[in-house]
Amino acid sequence: MTTSPDPQALSLTVNDRPVGPVPVPRGTSMQEFLHEWLGLTGARMGCGQGICNACTVMIEEEGKLPREIRTCITGAHWFEGRRVRTVEGHARQEADGSLTLSPVQQAFVEAFAFQCGYCTPGFVTAATVLIERLRQRPVERGQVESVVTEALDHHICRCTGYVRYHTAVRDLVLATPGLVTA
Amino acid sequence: MTAPSHPNLSRRSFLGGSAAAGIAISVSFLRGGAQAGLVEAGPRPGPGWLAGTKPRYRLDALAKVTGAKTFTRDYRARDLPGWPDAQAHAFLIAATKADRRFDGLDLSGLGDGLQPDRLVLHEDLVRDGLSVPPHPDFFGDRFLVPKGETARLLGQPVAILIYYDYPRYAAAKRALRFADDVVRYGASTAFAPPPHYGATRWVRIEGDGPEAEDRFSPFRDAPIFAGFDGDEPAWPAPGTEGAPARGMAAAEAIAAEIAGAGPEALVLRRSYGSQSVDASAMEADNGNVWYDAASGALHLMMATQSPHEVAETAALLVKGSRFPLRQVDLKVGTTVGYGTKDHHLHPLLCILAGLYGEGRPVRLANDRFEQFQNGLKRHSFRMDTTLLIDRASGRFRAMAGRYVCDGGGRPNYSMSVSFVGATAAQSIYYLPKSDFQAVALASRAVEAGSTRGYGTLQTMSATEMLVDEAAALLGRDAIDLRLANVFRTGQRNSQGAVPAGALRNEEILNRAAAHPLWRERQAKKAAYEAQHPGRRYGIGFAQVHKDYGTGAEAALASLEIDPQGRLTLRHVAHEMGPGVTTSQAVMVGEILGAVPDRTEFGVVRWPQMPLETGDQPYTTAQAEEDRLAQNPRWTPRFTSPMSATNSAYYLGHATRAAARFLRDHALWPAARSLWGRGYGGGALASYHTMRPEELRLAEGRLSGAGLPPLSLAAVAAEAHRLGLPVGVTLHSFNRWQWTEAEFDLPGTGRTRLPIDALALRYGAGASPERQALMSTAGWHFIERAAVFYPAVQRNNVGTTYYSPMATLAEIAVDTGSGAVTILSHHSILECGRQIVPELVSGQIQGGLAMGIGHALKEFLPLYEDGPGDGTWNWNRYELPRARDVAVWNQTVEILPPLSDTDPPKGIAEVVMIAVVPALANAVAHAIGHRFHDLPIRPEHIREVLA
Repeated sequence: MTTSPDPQALSLTVNDRPVGPVPVPRGTSMQEFLHEWLGLTGARMGCGQGICNACTVMIEEEGKLPREIRTCITGAHWFEGRRVRTVEGHARQEADGSLTLSPVQQAFVEAFAFQCGYCTPGFVTAATVLIERLRQRPVERGQVESVVTEALDHHICRCTGYVRYHTAVRDLVLATPGLVTA
Repeated sequence: MTAPSHPNLSRRSFLGGSAAAGIAISVSFLRGGAQAGLVEAGPRPGPGWLAGTKPRYRLDALAKVTGAKTFTRDYRARDLPGWPDAQAHAFLIAATKADRRFDGLDLSGLGDGLQPDRLVLHEDLVRDGLSVPPHPDFFGDRFLVPKGETARLLGQPVAILIYYDYPRYAAAKRALRFADDVVRYGASTAFAPPPHYGATRWVRIEGDGPEAEDRFSPFRDAPIFAGFDGDEPAWPAPGTEGAPARGMAAAEAIAAEIAGAGPEALVLRRSYGSQSVDASAMEADNGNVWYDAASGALHLMMATQSPHEVAETAALLVKGSRFPLRQVDLKVGTTVGYGTKDHHLHPLLCILAGLYGEGRPVRLANDRFEQFQNGLKRHSFRMDTTLLIDRASGRFRAMAGRYVCDGGGRPNYSMSVSFVGATAAQSIYYLPKSDFQAVALASRAVEAGSTRGYGTLQTMSATEMLVDEAAALLGRDAIDLRLANVFRTGQRNSQGAVPAGALRNEEILNRAAAHPLWRERQAKKAAYEAQHPGRRYGIGFAQVHKDYGTGAEAALASLEIDPQGRLTLRHVAHEMGPGVTTSQAVMVGEILGAVPDRTEFGVVRWPQMPLETGDQPYTTAQAEEDRLAQNPRWTPRFTSPMSATNSAYYLGHATRAAARFLRDHALWPAARSLWGRGYGGGALASYHTMRPEELRLAEGRLSGAGLPPLSLAAVAAEAHRLGLPVGVTLHSFNRWQWTEAEFDLPGTGRTRLPIDALALRYGAGASPERQALMSTAGWHFIERAAVFYPAVQRNNVGTTYYSPMATLAEIAVDTGSGAVTILSHHSILECGRQIVPELVSGQIQGGLAMGIGHALKEFLPLYEDGPGDGTWNWNRYELPRARDVAVWNQTVEILPPLSDTDPPKGIAEVVMIAVVPALANAVAHAIGHRFHDLPIRPEHIREVLA
């Protein structure tokens, strides 16, 4: 027989801020936790099945490259003790109140990359993970387009046809020193 | 047999406001930006938004890229000012059988701990006086399946479960997902869909010459309506008396000509099928509702493309129930729907949930399974087409088609989708004779409705496949055959109306014919296949033109300039993704040389425009409209639902008219005043013949005719000093033609403008008499002296505004797997004058991807195995990804405008259509087999190659 949910304490770091311990029922997805407990709705509900990747966030681990994680199919308690960066944590709020976008965000904005914007957080996350990876492991110039497609292809967008997202990331990669060899 | 219906011929209709009299209704939109808050304002520009008058980024870009709360779905009660913090949640349980009696629910699987805090059944709604607002065009006859009856459609909800806390809600929902023992069914029954939605017929036979009257046409005479005899339309009998009989006689004559065609003609009969599709807008349907019984206020936060209709319908729904209602307060966030959030039932289900929240805000938000189960679908079509072609000339003599769409179990826009599709079936060809039947059937399928393409994707794709095959059978180049029949400027469409402006289809065809993909297709095919054993190469071409607009487009805009030269734009438009907020601001910049410093979109309060409307723009008789129009405050429609296609042209018309008014009536006379200052008439004296068209406004300055440039600020200050109209609010209305009206402008006299209502605000220097005129919310509402509404007969036009697009698709087919790889594609678009080229290209790229999905991937069974069963998601409903759309190998040409005064055209739908038949034609070129049903998937290809 199904019973009411069984809470368990959860502590983690979200966008550089410690969170918890918070009682969260077992079986709660990370997406639910972000939305309903923390009010961070940028990691969007698209499919709930790990197909569209609108819900991804970054896991940041000391000495490792950041990873992209699907929050709709990953339990909140898997993140116990981990550091998470959601789309709300990519831009920097300056002392004067102004906002400094991350290079990926700036590239998307300038490229008119998105339309409705629902899938944008996932693309910001994936592209950021790619940029960080390329800082460690640059690729040849001729491989950039295929590398970009490989990094972003799992993200579904219904408005844009993907072109402006992809070209924005390609152009950012090519323009950022150290990401491309030869 | 059902009686012939004479339905509202609207593409999009709207409820009248009078039924909700006595209930205060307000609608507000979310402001984007990191400081998201609820105000009547749209997105605000961030730093460095502009380079001159060109935007560096979308007005809403910063909010969207930082993950700020922009969508309705992002909001919980705690985020909404004035709402209680505690958020309740609800979900629906749906019937997955439409041939069994509903006998009740078995929630024992939830145990004691997860039982809902409130369970709502049909019988509760009946007891409490809540029934579907009586609007035959949209919502059906009941929300929930009554106990003892059979669901009208698969996926129809039977119950609403409400939980006062999230953890129990989430656990209960997880427990019941896919459970097939929760809904108890009784005896087998017949299916119980509603009556069919309607049938119309559009017959035209040309007259004896280009200037002659048509012998019969919908525009000259009338479309033909039919009731049903079973599933068949019961058309009137042919005869000589009355338009329906004469129309049927004309249809009979066309049929006889086709039947009697000799060897000199090719008669090509083909049947096509286009599948049911889920538009898969990323934001699933959702709403949040707080009913405050103490104050009688119904607070709504809703994802919708038709907010005004939701607010009105909410009042109709609750009024008269046991829930006292004095106020409806609707808030709307950014949303996306591709039409599927237009007049949908879901917001009403949200309201029902909220009413039973016992004072708590209740959120009803579809997950993706639920979205498949109850979201609006693109109509499936069955299409039987016949084309009569003169073999020697290749000229089309006649075309007949029967276009039957399955609207599923609620009406939504099925009737209008059917005839918009049928009237578009002529595609880019001139047809001397045509007979197009539009039939909208009801069924137990999940309802189909307003979805991008609106029937024309289906019908024009069929025509473009038909013409491609005809060319092959005639041994002609497929583009040459199109050129022989292309619809040219001044010719009449299948409704008998002449389209607006220049038709540039021929120019596009010629460009396509010259493109290397087309010119070298045979050589490339040979070379590719030689290099790639097991793969077949194909090039396909198609060209379509799509109407934009609804035949009753209304808008309001307001533009003011302050004494410092700062502009404020307020507009009814709200953002859904295509960039309307950006483009409207840019339009002002194009005319005034400066973009607004302040913009507010989604504005719904227009106290300075005390207009009256019955909102029956399609059905009011001419004599009645003439009578109503004598009231200078009457208008056929106040405002229109938002769609991506109506923003650039129709909403932009109001913006442009406002900007031009300020230029002509404030800035021009103020500039002349400044130039004329000084001894003997100043610098202007010797140039006093300067004409208004010599005035130039750019980069915040006014110049022209050799006079010294003036800053906009200086001119604005002068306009205020002179008491000129420094603020203008106007209302526009289009019925395939713009309304014009004459106004007696203080100081100017009678002036004719392309609007039907006007209010002005004068500068501080205005005389006391003129100041006193501003008595309507601080504005001078000027009652028009005369108005010229387009004749109501233009409702029969179907459409006159078109934008064309062609696509060449280059593909390879793997003969083993049947997989189609798009190697590249090239498109050619004509969209008038582009406002923001980046937004135009984004629309094209997005439309192409969506069309690729329709052609090659997306498919939903209509009935028992379809989305109504609650098991569909994107794991089995395959959407196109970047790899599928040739993301690095696609190109576009956009025809330059014919002049710098060409209007911008609506393109949001046309951009997704041509690629569909282009891909089907490419597959035919690749493997020599013509598929007539979409989508063309690997299993279908494997079958024919086996």
